[in-house]
Amino acid sequence: MTLSMHPYVFLGSVSLLLGLAAGFVMHRSDFCIAGMFRDIFLFRRFTMIRSFVLLVVATMALFEAARLFGLLSVYPFPLLYAPTAANVIGGFLFGIGMVLAGGCVVGTLYKMGSGSALSMTAFIGLIIGSGLYAEVHPAWAAFIKQTTFFPGKVTIAQILGVNPFITVLAVVSPAAALLFSWYRRDAFTRPSFASGYLQPFRAALALALIGAASSVLVGMPLGVTSSFTKAAGWAESALMKAHYAGLTVYSAVPLNFIHRLTGPAALTGGPGPAFDALAAIQVPLIIGIVAGSAFSAALLGELRFSYRVPGRQYALAAGGGILMGLASRLAPTCNVWHLLGGLPLLAASSMLFLIGILGGAWLGGLLLLRLLGTGSGGIDGGLCSTRKDAA
Amino acid sequence: METVEIDIRGQLCPATLLVALKEINARASLLRRGAVKLCFLIDNRDATGTIPESASNMGYAVNVAKQQEGWYRIEVAARL
Repeated sequence: MTLSMHPYVFLGSVSLLLGLAAGFVMHRSDFCIAGMFRDIFLFRRFTMIRSFVLLVVATMALFEAARLFGLLSVYPFPLLYAPTAANVIGGFLFGIGMVLAGGCVVGTLYKMGSGSALSMTAFIGLIIGSGLYAEVHPAWAAFIKQTTFFPGKVTIAQILGVNPFITVLAVVSPAAALLFSWYRRDAFTRPSFASGYLQPFRAALALALIGAASSVLVGMPLGVTSSFTKAAGWAESALMKAHYAGLTVYSAVPLNFIHRLTGPAALTGGPGPAFDALAAIQVPLIIGIVAGSAFSAALLGELRFSYRVPGRQYALAAGGGILMGLASRLAPTCNVWHLLGGLPLLAASSMLFLIGILGGAWLGGLLLLRLLGTGSGGIDGGLCSTRKDAA
Repeated sequence: METVEIDIRGQLCPATLLVALKEINARASLLRRGAVKLCFLIDNRDATGTIPESASNMGYAVNVAKQQEGWYRIEVAARL
């Protein structure tokens, strides 16, 4: 089946709608992935990360169902590669960056949509950091080549030489039992006085459906960070022409696949500032997430520009954003692509990224406590006794 | 009873919660004696859950009220 409209119009419209839905849902539930990882270590709070586990497992089941029904154009998805040491290192730096910035790449977008000046600062940092990667790209590409394990193999199933259904089933069955036990003891529910609050586990299910819809209709899961590199490349090409010409990363075209819904012509794209398939997919998605969140906030009367905060928090948001942007290229690709695209396929690179991001979230939390200057807030005296009371 | 107002709107997550806990702990004896009431102004949706949960587990009475301008007011005081 193919469509008669221009592929970019179709891909862009679908991405915009999916972005609007994702932004709305994330704002309602304050679905902050950076916070979920951070709070495991900082506050020993596990309620939110359970919803994240649900999101990954539900996505895993949906992706596998889509594969079995022949709905996926490419499997594994494009832009997922063989595992390398770069996945762990990139994930680690990304984890630090997202905690300092107060949100991951999509967290930054939905918080920006509801009016956070800090997230707008982190957003600019993300673009700068993505551009910085261009400076180290040749050396890093060589490092990736040297440290690649299992060249040509992306998923655990490919490494083991088995049908992906087996590996997915081996993970989803015990995970489903665990999720059900959490559900039974009400371990997903989050107390909140926020109006229009959406419980994070409901948001997780909605986001899993949105991700699966993207994988079928767009041919790929949700992704945003290549566009940040494009924005940096565009700025560099305009402001520093001679320097830009020497940067090899912008001439790469890593995306090249034929999507069953958009016809025989391959969809191609890369980090360079050209308007290609990546831009046609990601830019509407980014706009959608920001606008969906703004729409949700406006409906609740909570859309307000807040900027009067201590200066050091702006420095943290900018620094965290730059680190996160750089790390999203080192990793290569960000937490959304790895954790909501690769991990549900059991891509080995994404599993390494997960190990890295956990370490980064732990160290980022420690750094954050020192750098915020708010003290620990009596975490030991306050929240740990909280936990005893709750138990 | 003195009311101390603390504006932590727009702050980096999780500074909202950390500042609130710091202020509560710093005034613990005054709060418990009922000499002071803390009032946090926040616009972080997540913190509308975490601050009341922490404060009530620490033994305080908590009241949350959404303001027309789109932010929340969380009062923390001694339990009666």
